[in-house]
Amino acid sequence: MDYFRNILGAPQGEMQATSGADTVERLCERVSSSTLLDDRRDAVRALKALSKKFRLEVGTQAMDILLNVLEQDRNDAEIISYALDTFYYVMSNEPTDEDDATPVNSGLGCEFTEIFIKRPENVTLLLTFLEEYDFHVRWPTVKLLTVLLSNKQKELQEIILVVPMGVSRLMDLLSDSREIIRNDALLLLNQLTKGHGNIQKIVAFENAFERIIDIIKEEGATDGGIVVEDCLLLLQNLLRNNTSNQNFFKEGSYIQKLKPFFNIDDEYAASRQGGWSAQKVTNMHLMLQLVRTLVSPNNPQNQTVACQKVMNHCGLLQDLCSILMATGVPADVLTETINTVSEVIRGSQPNQEYFASVLAPSNPPRPAIVVLLMSMVNEKQPFVLRCAVLYCFQSFLYKNEVSQSQIIQTLLPTAADANSITAGQLLCGGLFNVDPLSNWFSAVALLHAIVENPTQKEQLLRVQLATSLGNPPVSLLQQCCNMLAQGGKVQTKIALLMILCGWLADCPIAVSHFLSNTANVPYLISQVSSSEADDHEIIVQGLCAFLLGICMLYNNDTTEAFTKSALKQVIQNRIGLESFTDKLIQVAQNENYTRAAKKPHLYHKHPNEIVFDYEFTRLFKMLENEVLKAVSGTGSVNGRSPGGPGIDHYKALLKEQEDQVLALRKNLEEMQAVSSSSEKTVLELKVQVQQLKDQNSLLKAQKATQGTPPPAGTNSSSTEEVEALRRELDSMRLQLQDKDTQLMSMSSNKSNDAATDSSSSYHNGSSADEKPQGSDNLRLQEIESQLVSMTTERDSLNERLIKANEENLKLTNGKRVTEEEKAALVKEHQELKEDMETLKKEQDDLLVLLADQDTKIESYKNKLKELGHQVEDDDDDDELEEVEDNDEGDAD
Amino acid sequence: MSYAYLFKYIIIGDTGVGKSCLLLQFTDKRFQPVHDLTIGVEFGARMITIDGKQIKLQIWDTAGQESFRSITRSYYRGAAGALLVYDITRRDTFNHLTTWLEDARQHSNSNMVIMLIGNKSDLEARREVKKEEGEAFAREHGLIFMETSAKTAANVEEAFINTAKEIYQKIQDGVFDINNEANGIKIGPQHSPANQSLNVGGSGGNQGGNCC
Repeated sequence: MDYFRNILGAPQGEMQATSGADTVERLCERVSSSTLLDDRRDAVRALKALSKKFRLEVGTQAMDILLNVLEQDRNDAEIISYALDTFYYVMSNEPTDEDDATPVNSGLGCEFTEIFIKRPENVTLLLTFLEEYDFHVRWPTVKLLTVLLSNKQKELQEIILVVPMGVSRLMDLLSDSREIIRNDALLLLNQLTKGHGNIQKIVAFENAFERIIDIIKEEGATDGGIVVEDCLLLLQNLLRNNTSNQNFFKEGSYIQKLKPFFNIDDEYAASRQGGWSAQKVTNMHLMLQLVRTLVSPNNPQNQTVACQKVMNHCGLLQDLCSILMATGVPADVLTETINTVSEVIRGSQPNQEYFASVLAPSNPPRPAIVVLLMSMVNEKQPFVLRCAVLYCFQSFLYKNEVSQSQIIQTLLPTAADANSITAGQLLCGGLFNVDPLSNWFSAVALLHAIVENPTQKEQLLRVQLATSLGNPPVSLLQQCCNMLAQGGKVQTKIALLMILCGWLADCPIAVSHFLSNTANVPYLISQVSSSEADDHEIIVQGLCAFLLGICMLYNNDTTEAFTKSALKQVIQNRIGLESFTDKLIQVAQNENYTRAAKKPHLYHKHPNEIVFDYEFTRLFKMLENEVLKAVSGTGSVNGRSPGGPGIDHYKALLKEQEDQVLALRKNLEEMQAVSSSSEKTVLELKVQVQQLKDQNSLLKAQKATQGTPPPAGTNSSSTEEVEALRRELDSMRLQLQDKDTQLMSMSSNKSNDAATDSSSSYHNGSSADEKPQGSDNLRLQEIESQLVSMTTERDSLNERLIKANEENLKLTNGKRVTEEEKAALVKEHQELKEDMETLKKEQDDLLVLLADQDTKIESYKNKLKELGHQVEDDDDDDELEEVEDNDEGDAD
Repeated sequence: MSYAYLFKYIIIGDTGVGKSCLLLQFTDKRFQPVHDLTIGVEFGARMITIDGKQIKLQIWDTAGQESFRSITRSYYRGAAGALLVYDITRRDTFNHLTTWLEDARQHSNSNMVIMLIGNKSDLEARREVKKEEGEAFAREHGLIFMETSAKTAANVEEAFINTAKEIYQKIQDGVFDINNEANGIKIGPQHSPANQSLNVGGSGGNQGGNCC
C-alpha cells in the first residue's frame, strides 16, 4: 500500500517522468499477479491515474492485462469502472485538462483503438457491460464506446452491427433515467449512426424518433440547451439520404410533432432584449435543416412530394412563413427559414399557391414575395439572404406555369398598377441597376419565370421599357442586348447572356426579334472570336457562342440577313468550327459550372462565386450537343428545317430502307431458326451415337463375361459327375463279378453236397446213419438260407445296377444337352460378334455423316452472314433421322 | 391520421420469394416484375380497419440474403407480427423455413404472431410445394397459413389483415403487454388512457433491460 501512496503522493517532479514507464510496468505486474482483489483494484486505480500522463506506456503495457480484468473481475463494479476509465483515457484524443503543455498525439488513440478492436469480442464484452445498471460501469462504458467509435467509426459500426441486439442495447440507453447517461448516449448514437444506413434504420426501428422528440420536448424544444442540439443532430443523421427512414418518419406522423417547435411567439423576443441566445439560434438552425432533409430536391421525388403535402396539411409551412414575416428573427435563422420554405414549396403546387397568398404585415400589406424580392435587389442585405430569396423565388416558380405567368403579368403594361410595387418592377429595376449582383439575381429570377414555358417567353417580348424622358420605349430584349454591348461587370454579362439563352431557346419568335437588330450578331461574333481570355472572359465567350448556336438552332429563317445557313456560314468562316467548339466546351469544364449543376440550392458563400444558375446548366447540357451538331454537321441542319423540299423524298427513302431492314431482319430470324434447329438435331444425333457406343461397350463387356466360363463350368462338373458315375459303375460291376464267382463256387459246393447227400441216402437207407444225415440237413438248411440271402442280395444288386445304368443314361443325356447348349452359346457368341462388327461400321458411317453435317452448318452460318439465301437442307436432316432410327433398331 | 393501434411487422424468408413485392402490393397496390434486391431493410406503411378500429401497420421488409442476416435479426425483437414467406415454386425456400422459424423464435418476443405465406400461387404450373405441405408445416408449428400471389394480389390483403386480426385478438385476450413498446404495439395517441385499463401487465420500469 505504501508503495502506491508513494507514487500517487508524489505526482510532481522529474522523477515521475523518468520512472513512469517503470511504475506502469510494476503496476501491470501487480494487476496480473496479485491474487487479492483489493490489491488488483488499487493497482488498476493507480494505472488509471497514470493513464493521462503516460498514455503510451499504459496503452502498450496494460491493454491485455486490463482486458483480462474486464473479463475476470466483472463482478466488482469498482475495478471495472477503473479499467474502463483507463481505457477511455488511453484511447481519447481529447486534450486532458491537466497537461495542456504536451501536445496530444492524436494518432495514438486511433492506434490503441485498432489494437482494442482487433478482437471483436472485446467490443461485445463492452456491450454486455451496458446491461449493468450500476452507474460506475454503464457510464464509462458509454464514454469508452463513444471514443472507440470516433476513432474507428467504420470498423466499430460493423462490429456492433453484427453483435446480436448490439444496436438495440445502445438504443435502450436513451431511456436511462440518469440524464448523464442519456445525454452521453445521444453522443454515442450520433457517432454510431453517422453514414451507416443500416444502423440508422435499426435505430429508427427501435423507436428512436419518438424518444428523441420526447427528449427535445422535455428539454424545452428550441429554447433547450445543447442536449436539444445533440438530439437534432441525431435526427438529421437518421434521416439524411435515408429514404426508408424518411418514409418511416413521415408515416409515423413525426412531421406533425415537429410543428410545435416552430411556434415562435413574439413574447420571447420581447422578453429578451438581446435577441436570441446562441444556443437557440443553433437549435432553430438544426430544426430547419431537419425539415429541409425531408424535402430536399435530392430525395426521390415522390418522397419529397409526400412530405411537402404533410407539411402543408399540418400547418408547418404556415408556421415557417410566419417566422419569415416575424420581427426579431436573427438574419441567419431568417436565411435558413427562407431556404426551408423554398424547399417545402418547390414543385408542389398547393404549397406554392399558399406561399403566393402570404402577406407581409406591412402597411399596406404586400405579398411576401414582393417583400422578399425587395431584399434580393437590395445591396445592403446580407449576401446569403439574397441568395436564399432567389432560391425561394425559383422554387416558387419551379414547375408551376401559373406562378410563372403571374410574375410575367406584372411586367406587362396592361396589368401595371402605378401605386403598388410589383415583382416585375423590382426585377426590371434589379436587372438594370448598377449592382452586378442585383443584375445577376434579377436576370436569373426572370429566367426562371420563362423557363420551359414558350407562352411566357412570347409574353415577355411584349415588355417595353421607358428608358428616359423623350426617348422611345425600348423592348426588354433589346435593352438586355444593349446592356450586354455596353460592357460592364462580368457577372452582369453572364447573367444577361443566361437570360437571353433561356429566352431564345425553343422560341423562334424571340430569335427573330433578337436577330432583327443587326448589331447583335456582330457583337456576339466579335466576342467569340476575340482571343483575350481570363477565367471569366472565357465563360462570356463560351456563352456568346452558345447564344449564337441557339440563334441558329431555333431560326425560322424570317430574318433575311441571318438565316440558318447564313449564320452557319458566318460561324464557320469568321470564327472557325474548331474555335467555336472549343469555346463552347470551355463552359461546361468550368468549375463554377459543375458546382452550380450539382443542386438547385444556391450554397455560395461569397459573391464572387456567383456565376452560373442551376436551371441554366440544365439548359446548357440539353442543347450543347445539338448546337455543336447544327454548326458542324450538314445533315442535321437540313433535318431540323420543318417541311423542306427534299423531305418527302427522304421520307420515302427512309420508309423504303426501313422496310428493307424489316424484311432482312425477318429473313435473318428465319435463318437463325433453321440453323438452331439443325444444330439441335446434330446435338441429338451426337447424344444418340454416344448412347449406342455405350450400349456397344456394354454388350462387349457382357460378352466377355458370358462367352466361355459358364459352359466350361457346367461341362466340367457334368463330366466329373459322369466320371464318378462310371467309376461307381465299374466298382459295381466288379462287385457283381465277385458275387457271381462266389455264387458259382457256392452252387458247385451245393451240387457236391447234393451228390454226397444222394449217395449217402442211397447207401444208408436205414436210420443207422441218422446222425450225419441230420448234420448234413442242418448244413443244407444253412446253405439254403445262405442261398436265399445271396439271391436276394443278387436281386438287390441287380436292381441297383439297373438303377445305376438308368442314372448313367440320364447323365449322358444331360451331358449331351449341355454340349448342345454350349454349341448354341458359341454360335450366339459368333452372332454377337458379327452384330458388333455391323454396329461399328454403322457408327463410322454416322461419324462421317456428322462431319458432313458440321460442314453444312458451317456453310449455313456463312450463308446467314451473307444474308438472304434460302436454304434447302431439310432432306439432309431427314436422312440423318433415318439413320438414327436404324441405329436404334439395331441396338435393340 | 389517427389510429387506435399501431402494429409493427417484419417480413422474412429466403431471397427472391417475393417479400418486397408483397409489401409493394399491399402498400401501393402494384406489382414489380423485376427482382430488385433489397439491401438491408426497407420500410412501408398502411392503415387498415379491424373491428371498426383504425390500425396502422408499419412494415419492415428485410433482405433475404444470408449476408444481411445479422442486420435483419435486429428487427425481430420489436415486431408484433412476422410474415414468413416461401416460394411455392422453389422447394428449397420451403425447406429453409425451419431455420427461419428458429431464428425468429430465438430473437423475437414469444407472443409474436407468425403468418406462413406460400407466395407465387399464380405459378401453378411450376408448383413444387403442395398447399397441403404448407398447411401441415403451419399446423405443426402453430402458425397461420395462406397462399398468396403478389402478382395477382390474391390473398395479399388477407395475409396482412389476418395477421393483424390475430394480434388484435391477442390484445383483447390480454396476452400482449401493450404498454411495452418493445412488443411492436402502440396505442394511438388519443386512445391511450381509456383502453389501457384493459391491461395492467407490464411494469413501468424503463431501464431498457428487456433485451434477451
